[in-house]
Amino acid sequence: MDSFFAIEVSGLTKVYNNSFTALNGVDLEVHQGEVFSLLGPNGAGKTTLMRILTTQIKPSSGVAKVFGYDVLTQGSKVREIIGYVPQEFSVWTDLTAYENLRVYSRLYNINDKRKIYELLDFMDLSDFSNKTVKTFSGGMIRRLEIACALLTEPKVLFLDEPTIGLDPAARQNVWKRLKGLNDEKGITIFFNTHYIEEAELYSKRVAIINKGKVIKVGKVEELKKDLGFEVISLRVGNVEKALAILNSFSKKVSHNGKVIDLFVSDAEAMIAKVIKALENEGVEVERASIHKPTLEEVFISQVKKEETIRGKISEIRNIRRAVRRG
Amino acid sequence: MALNSIIAFIELEMRRLRTNRMELYTRVVQPILWLALFGPIISQTRAIEIPGVNYESFIMPGILIQSIVFVSMFYGLTIIWESESGILKKLLTIPISRESIIIGRSSASIARALFQMAIIIPVSYLVGVRVDLNPLFILLSIFIVFLTSMGFSSLSIFIASFMRTRERFMGLGQAITLPLFFASNALYPINVMPPIIREIASFNPLSYSVDSLRDLLILGNFNILNDVIFLLLFNFACIFLASIRFNKIAE
Repeated sequence: MDSFFAIEVSGLTKVYNNSFTALNGVDLEVHQGEVFSLLGPNGAGKTTLMRILTTQIKPSSGVAKVFGYDVLTQGSKVREIIGYVPQEFSVWTDLTAYENLRVYSRLYNINDKRKIYELLDFMDLSDFSNKTVKTFSGGMIRRLEIACALLTEPKVLFLDEPTIGLDPAARQNVWKRLKGLNDEKGITIFFNTHYIEEAELYSKRVAIINKGKVIKVGKVEELKKDLGFEVISLRVGNVEKALAILNSFSKKVSHNGKVIDLFVSDAEAMIAKVIKALENEGVEVERASIHKPTLEEVFISQVKKEETIRGKISEIRNIRRAVRRG
Repeated sequence: MALNSIIAFIELEMRRLRTNRMELYTRVVQPILWLALFGPIISQTRAIEIPGVNYESFIMPGILIQSIVFVSMFYGLTIIWESESGILKKLLTIPISRESIIIGRSSASIARALFQMAIIIPVSYLVGVRVDLNPLFILLSIFIVFLTSMGFSSLSIFIASFMRTRERFMGLGQAITLPLFFASNALYPINVMPPIIREIASFNPLSYSVDSLRDLLILGNFNILNDVIFLLLFNFACIFLASIRFNKIAE
């Protein structure tokens, strides 16, 4: 049972209409019970990958498996074990919350009203079960959609931009429930996002995708470390003398007035030694602080590396069209 | 599995209609005008004489089928709307086959059709149409109405797969529905038509629906076997085509 990955993708490509390459050889492994995020700018191929994994569209080449089932040849098996919340609305806004769950449960062939009430309760929507969805806030609609995706008690939950357009409080509320699902029921969660802090806060591992290629994958902490630096900032009395001493600690030292930035790989382990060395030589340290890179810096350094100027209207239009379709 | 989705989609349709009741009422205005105005006027001019029945009775099945076909032919709009939202994407990830989705969705249009039937038949009584109320006739009529709404709804889904935008679909829908109505036996017998139109009418599924309803409700006979066979073939063809194209809508 545990011998395979929740999601396993290798050499996956998708070309739309023989012209637009949305995925260009993606390899990815997601462990069972993991919260995994796919982070990338708009048009990077996130939605296309998710639509292939949820058996909506077929890949052009490569293999994708969900809990060991091939999405191409065992699509119906895959559909039985997944829950999916698309980026756009997936509920009927002229029905009530209860009615939406009821219709979906009929489609899933589950005739258990208790399950519906249980999910409404879990998603904190019990008080609104007989209100039409039209009257709901964005966060409530998202929670209802997640409830719909949970009807079958899926093993993997696919969420495409789960909190897009939600305010911070609503976003937190949605994630509180998702975290609960992962912690208590061990449901694997795979989500797409272009919000960096969302990937950083909620996922255990992140894959950064750009132009149809995964360019980096790993634990959030590891990705940050890969960037290779943390910074110790020091405000000292004697800059000249301090620089001479600090050069032995790191190859990269810069200074701006009385403030010196020392680039190291593990700032927390180094800071005490650095200060001690300076004070032993009679250099007064007035202030000291540590700055660690955020996932945003990792993201930007990775994506920008690949980014050329692509301001051409035709290309933007192509991407838009593909996104709308895919 | 298909039965499961038929029930689910009919329930969906019923629940949506309950919140959008207005739509049901506005949809019956047009057929009532045909029955209450057009019918009696043409009848008085004696422009079209049909032996054995008055003109109002002759066109009642035609008007009923016409109103059902018009509603069904625009069913594709729902699918286009759902493909623009996330609903269609979501439906594709549910463990039911594409064919079941098509069959379920198109058969759900029976919900509206039955409502139209329930209004139009009593209204026609007021203008002097006498319907044979033999339960077997009524039951078979419902079956015909079911085949009609399902066939044209799946045809509409098939057409929607080529249009992709609501505006284009609306345009084409308008362009198809009226000719479909006029090139049929809904308002006049086939033998008074020019030969070319007569040919078209004999391949027009709408003619077969009208013909069988006329036999059942007005003439009170069971001569509907040929009509039913034709309608079944029409359904198979449309469901088959719509299922193939359904993947395209999804992409």
